[in-house]
Amino acid sequence: MISRLLKRRRFMREHDWTHAHLSEYLDEQLDPDEHRRLEEHVSMCPQCRRVLATLRRTVESLMGLGEQPQPSIADGVIQRLRSEP
Amino acid sequence: MAAPLRALQAVSEAFASAGEGRASARAAWQASAHEASRHPSGRRVVATPPATDEQQLIERAQAGDQPAFEELVRRHADRLYAVVLRYVADVEEAEEVTQEAFLRAWRAISDFEGRSQFFTWLYRIGINEAKRRAERRPAPTTVSSLEDEPLEDAPDWSEAPALRAEQGELRRELERAVRALPVDYRIPLILRDIEGLSTEEAAEVMGLGEVAFKSRLHRARLAVRRAMDEYFIEANR
Repeated sequence: MISRLLKRRRFMREHDWTHAHLSEYLDEQLDPDEHRRLEEHVSMCPQCRRVLATLRRTVESLMGLGEQPQPSIADGVIQRLRSEP
Repeated sequence: MAAPLRALQAVSEAFASAGEGRASARAAWQASAHEASRHPSGRRVVATPPATDEQQLIERAQAGDQPAFEELVRRHADRLYAVVLRYVADVEEAEEVTQEAFLRAWRAISDFEGRSQFFTWLYRIGINEAKRRAERRPAPTTVSSLEDEPLEDAPDWSEAPALRAEQGELRRELERAVRALPVDYRIPLILRDIEGLSTEEAAEVMGLGEVAFKSRLHRARLAVRRAMDEYFIEANR
């Protein structure tokens, strides 16, 4: 009973830690021990696995927003600069 | 032709090429740049223009050479505009803010000491200008949200073909989720994930330490991810 409680507590500690470090994992900013720690928890936790996969997809999709063609506004800025005293 | 000039020409041609759009320009820019960082998707994202060429333009501008500054405008105006557009109310205001930011930069160019990248200095001026205007506006009618907890009943949509197939609708949904973020969380996400700055560069633009920046970025990403959970739950009904 106690060992089960301790195991559960450890799992939740790892769960919270993983949730807080998912972005750093995606950005490859964790050190090797942290990287391993996160992957170990993710391998055991379906919720973290789903959040990690969808967070990765979210970040990839956000990158696509930056690629929408827009009319250039440089000419307008230059015109304004030239009109200033 | 010297390498920097060839690179610049490639960028100009890509911008000029009708129908190919910003993706081509970005590709050319990437090809021309000498410094790149790695994004989580695995794609290399470039945020730094060729330094020596740009340095010469800055020095000439600091000596009062307006055409040199105008070249800096051509290089950075659209990127700054894209950032500002996600901050302010509409396209007209975004254009005004961008123009004002460059005017301020031109007047203050002699204060630029080169301790940071030129564009991080410029973005900072632009974001401060956008903030100044936002403070003068009445409070927004849309409610900011930073709900970031995963929803229990959400499907795993990471492989959903709809993310690509219904791009128009999903783009709108993503844009809506980004716009719903409180400004202090929205800007880190715009700079890092949409504009492709490195963590260090984006933190510098915000005037934040890296730890604080990463924390805001993470919460912003989780909140957008959660909004997409909601979208897919609704779509599955």
